[in-house]
Amino acid sequence: MGSEAVMLPPKPTVGLDDVRALLAQRSEEIWPALRAATRSATDFSEVLALATQRKKAQRAGIPGGTDKKIRLAMVGGSSLYPLHELVQQMVGAQSQSGWWETELWKGDYDNYIAEILDPESELYAFKPDVIFLVPSSQRCAYHGAMTDAREQQQAEAAKAAEDLLALCRTAHDRSGAEVILANFMPAAEFDPGPFRVRTLGSNWNFRKLVNLELGLNAPSYVHLCDAEFLATRRGVANCYDARAWFETKQLYSSEFAVEIAREVAGIVASLHRSSKKVLALDLDNTLWGGVIGDDGMAGIEIGGTHPRGEAFRQFQLAIASLAKRGVVLAVCSKNDYKNAAEPFEKHPEMVLRLKDIASFQANWEPKSENLRRIAQDLNLGLDSIVFVDDNPAEIEIVNQFVPEVETIWLGPDPAEYAAQLLNCRLFEPRSITSDDLQRGEQYQQQAARVQAMNTGTDMDSYLDSLEMYSLISEFTPVDVPRISQLINKSNQFNVTTRRRSEAEVEALIGDPNFYGFSVRLADKFGDNGLISVVIVKVEGATAVVDTWLMSCRVLKRQMEDEVVNEMVRLARMRGCSTLIGHYLPTEKNGMVRDLFPRMGFELVEETPEQATYQLSTEEFVTKKTHIQIDRRAYDAN
Amino acid sequence: MTQTEILAKMQTVFDDVFLDDVKVTPELSANDVEEWDSLLQISLVLGVEKAFNVRFRVGEVEATKNLGEFADLIQKRMSEGAKA
Repeated sequence: MGSEAVMLPPKPTVGLDDVRALLAQRSEEIWPALRAATRSATDFSEVLALATQRKKAQRAGIPGGTDKKIRLAMVGGSSLYPLHELVQQMVGAQSQSGWWETELWKGDYDNYIAEILDPESELYAFKPDVIFLVPSSQRCAYHGAMTDAREQQQAEAAKAAEDLLALCRTAHDRSGAEVILANFMPAAEFDPGPFRVRTLGSNWNFRKLVNLELGLNAPSYVHLCDAEFLATRRGVANCYDARAWFETKQLYSSEFAVEIAREVAGIVASLHRSSKKVLALDLDNTLWGGVIGDDGMAGIEIGGTHPRGEAFRQFQLAIASLAKRGVVLAVCSKNDYKNAAEPFEKHPEMVLRLKDIASFQANWEPKSENLRRIAQDLNLGLDSIVFVDDNPAEIEIVNQFVPEVETIWLGPDPAEYAAQLLNCRLFEPRSITSDDLQRGEQYQQQAARVQAMNTGTDMDSYLDSLEMYSLISEFTPVDVPRISQLINKSNQFNVTTRRRSEAEVEALIGDPNFYGFSVRLADKFGDNGLISVVIVKVEGATAVVDTWLMSCRVLKRQMEDEVVNEMVRLARMRGCSTLIGHYLPTEKNGMVRDLFPRMGFELVEETPEQATYQLSTEEFVTKKTHIQIDRRAYDAN
Repeated sequence: MTQTEILAKMQTVFDDVFLDDVKVTPELSANDVEEWDSLLQISLVLGVEKAFNVRFRVGEVEATKNLGEFADLIQKRMSEGAKA
């Protein structure tokens, strides 16, 4: 209500001048200002000037900077200067509390094939975490005639993509690094005219096909920096700069280089944190036009033949498309619940229905409080929520009181709502697994379970009524992406918070010094998917829990007990008489502080950094639960 | 704009690109500043183009011997822009 009042963007923009002033004052506030200014900068000179300010701040030793170091190698068929400055600056700004420092190694101009193929090259000596490969687009052209047989042209495009992916594989196998591969910018010249679409021999069609082959065949350690899409969206003609190529071998025009750098930084960030999980929605003038409490069911604008109503419906369709992919929906609205729920139940033009909303908060409490409630309901951190509202005042309050929550201010025109959501870049998954597709449903099932628990009489009969069954498996190659996803994003139920890349998880599979397993859990309400990951290191007669994490969705379901049963069983099989567990406290994993003692482990030693517990596998008595275990890890069958 | 005015405006571009303080004078050239290598030159030229809203042709900045000549080139390109 009252959202017509002041329509100013709620976040004041921080710019280069603010950063300069903060540097002059030697203020620690320079870091958040640098992050904000860098993220919003689109101009090449501005980004470089910000980079200069950053270097001066680092040189002056202003505290509050580096909170992560990333080793990035850049190789390619063009000059990597000054692209690397932009990448470095954009990666740094991905930090949420300081500055991500990039240790950089740059390959020589157009020497990437040799650098990757030579096992003794400096590239490998550098030991990169991430390799950014920008191949030569000048080489991506069909060499024969435009009139050659289509099969021949197709084969050459497939070969070009294969060769590049083979280079990526070599680089990954030798270094263990994740590889960011820039694909090819579309051709911008008119020649040979509209005939270009009739043959794969034209630069236009040939590059499109090579890019398609790259995208469809890239393994999970290759992350495509989609220059084709970015250039198309921007206007390809503005992405080239002939003079810069002749003078200094720049592949991208200076402004387009900023976009490429931003994309690379986004990919680097996605390797270290997951995308957002929850979309929390305001209702009045957000999901529909008008105020339900005042205008009533007949008065609100949604769907139909009215242009405003259609715009709101389009926004709901955009929301539904995210939900279908696993984004969990919540409502956060100042309304009476009865009024707020009515359109979801009865309005024929609504796309979203009550069953689509995992947590529905409609009351007169401040929205910051309701967002906390949503996080509790769904058992997720506040930092996994994105809040959307048309009212800048509400956005401002949320920014102030729950800064962990990301916000989107929709602005004054409903026509732009859908595009705003689909361009917000907060819900982009690194990969989409079939588990993700079910996630929305899983949270709704979670809500149903909570209800079952509230109506059930006692815990035992509740657990029994869930009819839970579980599959425990040693790590398998198909599960590696999901396992590494969990390892890299689980913060709460995670005893050591050790992160591992897909390559590192894969390496564990054949390593005799480790055993590991993943757990799936299903019940009568549905399949929860892969919900727990355990890695144990065998050190003689002692087994040490290296990693134990679980999805918070399955808390209080006795899954912890079954995990310990399995850890002990496998420890005995390996001849270990003692099982050691460490708890490494973080800001987020307080919920597992007393996990080991609850599971019957004895405290050995406690320091502020780590608590150590042990359990004798000889004296351990297998815990009884209500979960039926259908298969155990390392089973012969 | 006079050469002096152009050099004064170039100073702001230099301040954004160099870590050390570099005083812009007509006689100054890349040889006088340790930090000023061929790579930094790229950033410098792009910054100047942006600040003065001009576009140089291939190879011509490289042909200038010092900042005085560079400023004259800027002036030449600016006057062309004004005519167009």
